[in-house]
Amino acid sequence: MAQSAIGVSTVDRDQLRAQISEKYRDVAMDPEMGFHFHNGRPLARMLGYAGEVVETLPWGTVESFAGTGNPFLFGELAVGETVVDVGCGAGFDSLIAARQVGADGQVIAVDMTAGMRDKAAAGAQAMGFGHVEVRDGFAESLPVSDAVADVVISNGVGNLCPDKPAVFREMARVLKPGGRIQIGDILVHKPVPQDARDDIDLWSG
Amino acid sequence: MLELTGFSEVVLSNEIDVFSGSKHESDAAEFETRGVTVFARHP
Repeated sequence: MAQSAIGVSTVDRDQLRAQISEKYRDVAMDPEMGFHFHNGRPLARMLGYAGEVVETLPWGTVESFAGTGNPFLFGELAVGETVVDVGCGAGFDSLIAARQVGADGQVIAVDMTAGMRDKAAAGAQAMGFGHVEVRDGFAESLPVSDAVADVVISNGVGNLCPDKPAVFREMARVLKPGGRIQIGDILVHKPVPQDARDDIDLWSG
Repeated sequence: MLELTGFSEVVLSNEIDVFSGSKHESDAAEFETRGVTVFARHP
């Protein structure tokens, strides 16, 4: 298969989504089983999340955390802001954002994996965060209106999407003018051969 | 890519070897894969 444009892979999108969703269902349901990436509290520590913040989150949220960065490295979100969390997973970053923006703010948490959405919703309920809304959707077609967000956060999601420009266009669409993204992702410093790019098992682990 | 999609003020955090010690470590090391956090502004 050929690489068709910058940031766009021709890997079968639906097959990739199915495998990734299956993998992350396991992260939601059986986080101790071991994955090709770190998860849970050790990963949060590695990424610089403050222990006292992590301690306040429900255990189920923390154990299923998977990410590659820390959206809050660039500063806390402001009270009253509207946040969209793209690929929210079990809601780890959504709940941290919800505490920062407070009840006058809003967090729209989007994920394609039902097991993760269930955990995110349960975590929000456990924290008493009525301003967190969990929605079913894809990063390339967010179930969010235009220009509603002050900030888009995401963590380890763009690298799992074959059409990265589409992801960034969606983030731009839902942001208000002057809004910002604070996203964790990965950088790959060496060229990846085409056979590896086309290997869905390598994408999804 | 971010600038191609209209973002500006792009800032990258320090990189972190997020796959170190994981099952994916050898693949990640082969391609020098690192975790990073990105800030960018929508005009």
